[in-house]
Amino acid sequence: MKKTIMFLIIAILFIPLAVTDAKGNEVAQLQQEMTALRSQFSEMKMSYETRITQLETKIEDLQKTYSIRAEKPQIAPPAPPQSTSLGRYFQSFNPDVSVIGDFTYHATDTKNTEFRNQFQMRQTELAFSASVDPYARGDFFFHVEQEDGNWHIGLCEGYMTLLTLPIDGLQAKVGKFKVEFGKANKLHLHNLPWVDYPNMITDYFGEEGMSEPGVSASYLIPNPWNKYIELTGQVVNNRNGVSFAGAEGTSLVYLGHLKCFHDINEASTIELGTSLATGPNDGGLGRFGSDMTTLEGVDLTYKWRPLQQGLYKSVTFQNELLFSQHNRPAFDDGTDIIDAKNINSWAGYSSLEYQFAKRWSVFGRYDFSEFPLTSSSWENAYSTGITFAQSEYCFWRVQFKHTDRNFDKDDNAVWLQCDFGLGPHRKHDY
Amino acid sequence: MRKVIILLTLLLGLSGIAYGKDVINVLTTTEDLKSITEIIGGAKVKVDSLARGYQDPHFVAAKPSFMMKAKNADLFMVIGLELEIGYEELIINGSRNQRIRIGQQGYLDVSEGVNLLEVPTTTKIDRSMGDVHPMGNPHYWLDPENVKMVAYNIAKRLSELSPDNAPYFQENLASFDKKIASKMIEWKEKIAPFKGEKIAVYHRSWPYFADRFGLLVACELEPKPGIPPSPGHLKNVIDIMKRDNVKIILMEVFYDEKPAQFVAAQTGAKVIIVPNSVGGTKEAKDYIGLIDTIVDKLVSGLRSSGKE
Repeated sequence: MKKTIMFLIIAILFIPLAVTDAKGNEVAQLQQEMTALRSQFSEMKMSYETRITQLETKIEDLQKTYSIRAEKPQIAPPAPPQSTSLGRYFQSFNPDVSVIGDFTYHATDTKNTEFRNQFQMRQTELAFSASVDPYARGDFFFHVEQEDGNWHIGLCEGYMTLLTLPIDGLQAKVGKFKVEFGKANKLHLHNLPWVDYPNMITDYFGEEGMSEPGVSASYLIPNPWNKYIELTGQVVNNRNGVSFAGAEGTSLVYLGHLKCFHDINEASTIELGTSLATGPNDGGLGRFGSDMTTLEGVDLTYKWRPLQQGLYKSVTFQNELLFSQHNRPAFDDGTDIIDAKNINSWAGYSSLEYQFAKRWSVFGRYDFSEFPLTSSSWENAYSTGITFAQSEYCFWRVQFKHTDRNFDKDDNAVWLQCDFGLGPHRKHDY
Repeated sequence: MRKVIILLTLLLGLSGIAYGKDVINVLTTTEDLKSITEIIGGAKVKVDSLARGYQDPHFVAAKPSFMMKAKNADLFMVIGLELEIGYEELIINGSRNQRIRIGQQGYLDVSEGVNLLEVPTTTKIDRSMGDVHPMGNPHYWLDPENVKMVAYNIAKRLSELSPDNAPYFQENLASFDKKIASKMIEWKEKIAPFKGEKIAVYHRSWPYFADRFGLLVACELEPKPGIPPSPGHLKNVIDIMKRDNVKIILMEVFYDEKPAQFVAAQTGAKVIIVPNSVGGTKEAKDYIGLIDTIVDKLVSGLRSSGKE
């Protein structure tokens, strides 16, 4: 027992010593490991610092060489105001809608004229334009006018243009449109360079020219000079009451137009056009047999606008001639037999417009016109005027016109015109 | 008969050669785009422009001869932001060229991705504000940093149209970017002594240029964009210029000089007429030449007005 106690005492005394010795070894080992780790860490730190420096140098070099690529992320994200604007823009799936007012004061010494010495809201045009689908676009023009004290709205034009036909250079149009005869007939009232249409148009096609339902095809004729040569063919209802059958017409009128355009130099251009229209003048009703009216037209337009001073100076010299062959057989009007007659008549105008300042231009026009049903009556007219363009969307115009007739009293007229538009409708052909 | 067949064969062969050509026909609306496209496209493109550098790019007539140019184009390129609103659609429709219709690969609005200024933030825009552009000021090509993005867009589209030549276009783009980067240092150094100077301008064409080179536009001679200077507005301009000691009136080559000269006479300022497009003057024969001309004339004007 004594031995056992002694052994236990010795064991108890020596165990801590052994433990202390083991701990000492472990600490030393740990210290060594720490030192090694510190050394490794320092090496790694140095290595990474060197590599980071190298990478920074490389990035700087790359930024210098490919600066656009480095900056692209800065440019790419759209700024908030842009998205606001685009949001508004994408709503434009609606058609472009415009309203154009044509206001006049008309003073004349001809006593039986409507709105003589009076103000008149002569016409209000409502225009709608948009793409129909990827293949076509649509255009509608409604006119609101006062007649006999009442306001009327009518369709001036409403057509679809087929833009992607399989034949290269071919376009087609269906609907109601102003026919392709010369230059002035295609213009709307607010787009004329004068207050009124030339006498040639009103005497042979009516107050606002000839606009009928029908179909139209135009083709750009390929040529070695790469010039703009356009051939247009149209077939429309025979409802024009001045040169053709009128409201009772059941037949068709056929039209053709050739337009050749040439740049003389960068400031000057010349356009030559020829037109043809033919159709029965009795609508095929048999009242006069089935007689035909044939109209031929020639138009020549010269334009000058120096590019650098183009905002301030320009000249337009526009001329048209029309020849009419109106064949009419003999007929019984109830009291007498009216002899058969071939009436050959003609009309034309020449207009010169000179823009002398950004907002100001002056013009003069000479008209001569016989009539489709008589070549013995004629009228000469001399017009002159001045236009002030308040802005791109509003102009004021004063025009004086003296008309000399061989069948009636001469007429002197003065117009004050104000034309103003709302909306985007301001794009017009050259 | 044999001769006819031979002739037809030759003609067809020739047309085949013409069709298989390795050159992209590009039509641009402005000469700036023409210049950049020629740099990027090099020998692989044939470029023509509708407007000349010395005319107002807002008002270009939609001449039928332009429609013929557009008819033959593989790629029609526009500045965008409605700068070409008065004629772009008429020319595309009149050309009857399906390849260049909006949305087709042959139509490119190069403004995509450029940094825009003066984007209206009001809920309503109307003509009482003058000729405002609802998507932002379209004169962004006067900032060379924006032109890098324009060049990138052009290179991208040319590469799509002619994938075989993509490396060539990319190489030209990289070279153009380097050139712009080095010229930017030169241009900035030249203008640096005048940083923060106020200038008057005729039309609102210069915010991008002024912003890039640290100049401040104090006033415009037009009361509203596109509206000619009125006597009443010019009086305000004179007051502002006197108050802010503005000694430079910067204007384009195609505007009437008289209102600017009148204001200059009242304020002792100098009228500096510069091109705002390539081709606007003889010196501005390419894009680098354009910015060189503007910077040199402006710096010379500022120096002679004692602003250094």
